[in-house]
Amino acid sequence: MEYLSSNKIAIIDLGASKTIQKELDEDLVKEKIGGAGITTALYEEYRDEDPIVLGTGLLTGTLAPASALGMVTAKSPVTGKICHAPFTLYGGVELKYCGFDYVVIKGSSPKPVYLWIHDGIADVNDGKEIWGKDVWISTDMIREVMGDPLIQILAIGKAGESESDFAQVCINYWASGDRWGFGKLFGQKKLKLVAMRGMSLLEIADPEGFVRKCKEFLSTIKSGPYAGKGGIGELSAAMGEDIRQWLEPIIHRHLSCFNTPFPTNTFVFLDEDPKLLKETEKKEPGFLITDVHGLLGYKKLGLSAAEACDLLRDCAKYGIDAVAVAELSQKAGKKKPDEIKKSLSGLKGSLESVGKGKFSPWAPSFTLSSDEWERRQAVAYLFGIHPIYALMSPEFSEEKLIELANLGTGLGFTSETLDKVIIDILK
Amino acid sequence: MGIKVDPKKCVSCMACELACGYHRDDGFALLSSCIMVTRGREKKDYSAVVLKEEENLVIARPEGLEIRKLGSTGEASSGREKEDASAKPLLLREPCDLCGDREEGPLCLQFCPVNAISMN
Ligand code: SF4
Ligand code: SF4
Repeated sequence: MEYLSSNKIAIIDLGASKTIQKELDEDLVKEKIGGAGITTALYEEYRDEDPIVLGTGLLTGTLAPASALGMVTAKSPVTGKICHAPFTLYGGVELKYCGFDYVVIKGSSPKPVYLWIHDGIADVNDGKEIWGKDVWISTDMIREVMGDPLIQILAIGKAGESESDFAQVCINYWASGDRWGFGKLFGQKKLKLVAMRGMSLLEIADPEGFVRKCKEFLSTIKSGPYAGKGGIGELSAAMGEDIRQWLEPIIHRHLSCFNTPFPTNTFVFLDEDPKLLKETEKKEPGFLITDVHGLLGYKKLGLSAAEACDLLRDCAKYGIDAVAVAELSQKAGKKKPDEIKKSLSGLKGSLESVGKGKFSPWAPSFTLSSDEWERRQAVAYLFGIHPIYALMSPEFSEEKLIELANLGTGLGFTSETLDKVIIDILK
Repeated sequence: MGIKVDPKKCVSCMACELACGYHRDDGFALLSSCIMVTRGREKKDYSAVVLKEEENLVIARPEGLEIRKLGSTGEASSGREKEDASAKPLLLREPCDLCGDREEGPLCLQFCPVNAISMN
């Protein structure tokens, strides 16, 4: 695969602690487009070895608006189905640039390990020093050892190590969209984290044509209904639950995922003046909210915004899905932050807010029907578009995405190709 | 004439960085961009947009703009604060040419989704 690609797949055998590399076959791309189309195909190919497949969409890491998406595809220990969990911020783009379009992690390791994927190399390293550490400390340790603060990390905390059903794979210090218990799967495989960093160059079939179209589509989107807005409060308002006033006093600023026109994340300061402009002296002043549902779950318990965000921070450190914690706390009648914090270890129960389909319910349904939501998610996960932003920008249509894919790769995708792949991955 | 960044509007999306990388390399890469968002202080939510010009390093921080003269070796003269180590590679790259060969002008400006970049 020549364009928008590193042309490589890493197959990592955790049992044998070995990596082999394969080329990304252009025919596979023609047939499955990318992202969830190909991670699903790779999952099937290695099915007997219970694989975790990491991947990016066809347009991830390009100038296509909102091209931020990376994904984890595996069998969910919660639902027993093959599901896709999103990771955004700078994680998707880093995976795309680290020299592999897809990474298959198969088998299990007898001892704790971590993967170091960088510049076309994928190593299995001893994870003894980080096993037992929380997500934040693990991320800090890896970045310090490697001497690079820009390494992007998919990590589990103690929840994953102890194989909790609600364990989440986090992204750096923050919650990801993993609502499938993939953290448990990492834990079962003794895989503490995946560290990614890369400096690739992606070639484009028709560079000027591709960039011209990206610019044109961006300007249409920029004049859409979300122009000038941002943050988790706006997302919740669009979902019909307005928490803007409740959250406002602790907001430091809103942050976008890579190349995403609407900032879907909000950084709150908990131990520092939120209005501070200069660099804080505090090492860990707050938290980046990346999941609106976790926040809403704690609000429903009657907590203040600061209490809710403090709990979100504890959940991310422990590597547990805050949505599950909030729901089970509600059921158990736990409403005090201390009580909830104590319940993280050994949390048990069954959830109602489990996703029913293939794609993580991290992306809100807004006003869409479940079929519309699912199709739009499928499109986002094939092309690598931010799954929340994809729902907010219907004007960035399937036709436009196909047009970009063709300018980028020259492979002649059609709406029939897309329909076929969508049917395939929704099976 | 030069590029001006309003750090209060910036949402740290890196679109400018990738646009500039494309301008240099005709492909998607971040190796040659002369504009970049510092991301090394993630837990503190502190970042700046740094631009390398012919003679200056322009650092747009939330609290204000700093312009550092570049020495003959390409090193920046010492500023009032230590800059984020993630901005270091910038010093070795080509300075901003304002996308002089592009009819529509600066590409970073056209790709900033929140209009944080302007010409002054
Ligand atoms: S004007 Fe062009 S050369 Fe200068 S920073 Fe922007 S994209 Fe780069
Ligand atoms: S494109 Fe605009 S918002 Fe994005 S990082 Fe650059 S200046 Fe900031």
